[in-house]
Amino acid sequence: MTAFLVRRLLFALVLVAFAASTALLLTRIAPGDVTSQLGPGATQAEITATRARFALDRGPLAQWVEWAGRALRFDLGESFLYNRPVAPLVRAAALNTAVLAFAAVVAATVLGLGFGILSGSRNDTVAAFVRGVSFVSISIPPLLASLLLAFIAARTGWLPVGGMSSVNASEMSWPLWLSDLAWHLPLPVLALALPLSATFERLQSQSLAEALHQPFVLAAMARGVSRRDLILHHAWRVSLRAICGVYGVAIGALLSGSFVVEYVTAWPGLGRLMYEALRARDIYLVAGCAAMGSFFLAIGTLTGDLLLAAVDPRVREAETA
Amino acid sequence: MGVFLTAALIIGGYYWWRAPRSESGLGPGAVARRGGQLVASLRSDPRSFNRYVARDFTTDAVTMLTQDRLVRVNRATFELEPRLAERWESSDDGRTHTLHLRRGLTWSDGTPFTADDVLFSFAAVFDARTDSILASSLSVAGQPMRAASPDADTVVITFAGPSGPGLRLLDNLPILPKHKLQSTLAAGTFAKAWDTRTPPADLAGMGPFVLREYQPGQRLVLDRNPRYWRTAKDGTALPYLDRIVLEIVPDQNAELLRLQARAIDATQDALRSEDFVTARRAEQQGVLTMIELGVALDADAFWFCLKPDVKKKDPRFAFVQKPQFRQAMSHAVDREEFAQTVYLSEAVPVWGPITPGNRQWFDPNVPRYPPDLEKARTLLKDIGLEDRNGNGIVEDEAGTEARFAVITQRGVSSYERGTTVLRERAAKVGIVLDIVPLEFGAMIQKMLASDYDAIYMKPIATDMDPAANMDLWLSSGSAHFWNLEQKTPATEWEKRIDTLMLEQAAANDDRRRHELFNDVQRILAENLPVLYFAAPRLFAAHSTRVVNVMPSVLRPPILWNADLLAVSGAAATATPAPQ
Repeated sequence: MTAFLVRRLLFALVLVAFAASTALLLTRIAPGDVTSQLGPGATQAEITATRARFALDRGPLAQWVEWAGRALRFDLGESFLYNRPVAPLVRAAALNTAVLAFAAVVAATVLGLGFGILSGSRNDTVAAFVRGVSFVSISIPPLLASLLLAFIAARTGWLPVGGMSSVNASEMSWPLWLSDLAWHLPLPVLALALPLSATFERLQSQSLAEALHQPFVLAAMARGVSRRDLILHHAWRVSLRAICGVYGVAIGALLSGSFVVEYVTAWPGLGRLMYEALRARDIYLVAGCAAMGSFFLAIGTLTGDLLLAAVDPRVREAETA
Repeated sequence: MGVFLTAALIIGGYYWWRAPRSESGLGPGAVARRGGQLVASLRSDPRSFNRYVARDFTTDAVTMLTQDRLVRVNRATFELEPRLAERWESSDDGRTHTLHLRRGLTWSDGTPFTADDVLFSFAAVFDARTDSILASSLSVAGQPMRAASPDADTVVITFAGPSGPGLRLLDNLPILPKHKLQSTLAAGTFAKAWDTRTPPADLAGMGPFVLREYQPGQRLVLDRNPRYWRTAKDGTALPYLDRIVLEIVPDQNAELLRLQARAIDATQDALRSEDFVTARRAEQQGVLTMIELGVALDADAFWFCLKPDVKKKDPRFAFVQKPQFRQAMSHAVDREEFAQTVYLSEAVPVWGPITPGNRQWFDPNVPRYPPDLEKARTLLKDIGLEDRNGNGIVEDEAGTEARFAVITQRGVSSYERGTTVLRERAAKVGIVLDIVPLEFGAMIQKMLASDYDAIYMKPIATDMDPAANMDLWLSSGSAHFWNLEQKTPATEWEKRIDTLMLEQAAANDDRRRHELFNDVQRILAENLPVLYFAAPRLFAAHSTRVVNVMPSVLRPPILWNADLLAVSGAAATATPAPQ
């Protein structure tokens, strides 16, 4: 297991370096650069100074070498948009995204697996209804889902329309601050969790239905095991392999930040920061966000692998070997 | 999950039809009260708290709330009004201005405000190490203004030459506290001072509010400045509000939803045309108030690249550079139809860059080009362009077709509609326009490199006074966008405009300045280096609980007079605010 973890850690490091470097170079060679943010009225001197400040007056390779040298010392450069170092900006946004992603993963898991067990273990109108709604949820684009939920929140007043905290959050005590954060979570969490939970529901439903027809389940049934125990203690554990297979990627994708949901709901996370950076061609901020996003992706896949190993002894044995 | 989603949809639909009713619905005669909090939205974070080095809108808006100027151009009346200077006298030649500062004023931290702060601000803005973005707007005849102070309450400002805008130029200069920033100027680090990491306690201002807290990506919280100098007519200390919160809402759709939900009271911008229906419905339901700001100061523009150095080998340049070609394009477009389609009828036709929104400088008598397809075809034929092979596209004798790629900014709905109308109308006279939407950065890069056929976008003027927009008018200007930064004027008419604008900018007599600028507008409309079609009527919306709103066509439309804004339900009563 230790060797496995070391291998995955090395993989994560390579992934982070590759993703950040690629993001930096692609941002550099794409048409336009950060000086376009100065506007058409900017003087040539201002443009030249800005290009020099962000090393855009050098070749892409020279710029990458300089950036990589600093990045090894955890200096990711400076952001044009925010006029401050990239590293703390990315750290703060990543923490916000992690909070959102964690809540979304929990919600998607509970909803997806719960309804998946329900629809996979029976074949009636309730199961058909759950399947139908899942298909709709998978099909709704995140932008539409976010706007729809924000619209409902705006019309009903039941939830905040957006943001991560209330206006007076900084004056709240810790317990109140946490409850305020929890109050702002449902809207973006639902926007993120709905399609994911629908995916989990479909996978869980199909794999459970298959598991229920496995010989060992039929044998247990013949031994007189109750249907409830049959589903929860025998078939469900086997059926989890399919979920675990995609769990890591799903967690990684959520942690990398969903720019659409974060943008619409004004959640100050990594996805929104990356989107703003890309729009402004804020080159070092793009690279920093890519590095953190790929780090999260690596964590997600590692989590998925560990979960898979936990539920499937064959995987454990293969890794040990 | 399905049950939840379906229930949410049903409940959402139910509430859509059963819309909330007005809570307060204050009428126009509502009384302003001291206290309360107003929540407004911004689209992005500030780049700095030092306006001298940051040109972004958020920095400007925060500066407007926290700092003050010697004099200010009132955003509603466009008149010059006293601020930190209570009165002034100007010499006959308009070069020397003596400003008398208000006495007994203090910065938000309690330090007395004196003429030294003004001198420091001038020194900082013109310091070469600051490389201030404001320096050029505070220069006259290419030279920086000079400031001196015979005593602690008087400042004498001298221009290197005569200036048409005169003291209006000082509207660009927020006065900064010497006691807070002097050391940075001495150390040559002023340009880095007051970045967004600066603790709010280290900032000081003369504006109506002080920064209390900045949460990146979320909000700025500004508290009432208890030492603000201005009072209402009845002596009530301004500002009325105890606090302004600026929520950062990047998405404009979400911003409107928040306004409808009463989560914010005002927005940073005018509404988009496509939001009018929603906003009007919310207004009828008593949720918000819509206000007409007036006709926009800037209109969408369409122009061809007219840079001979770059285009001389392009066979199309032979006809594009002729005014008749561009006049034909202008005749091909029906501006009334354009206004209806692009701005859903909330726009007025325009024939030049100065729209009716700029009441001081708009000339209604510039040459116009009524929609006339026959006239357009005749003009094209006069310069040798006709459809010789029957493929619907006009070409010259050498067979060069009038076909152009038009770049525009991706994702701007009015640009998408505008280019569609333009393409359809141009096709009717045999000109093909292929629309190429690009990211903003890529578009600007192509524009600066003159690497394009044509562009459709909205250039933003930096000031209403033409003399403050010399970069646009002068052929050597960095915003003379159809042919940037010419060493010598490429055409006779541009040379003529250069002469007129230099004279206009230096003239003291207002009537003479108008005569000269009307000539400039006429010459531009005759030669049409840029085609303008319609300027939108701007509307803003705010919560019904906000009172004392003086709408402005300039950004920000509501917050610009934040010291007079008030909200219903506040504690103490005050009389209506002074104008």
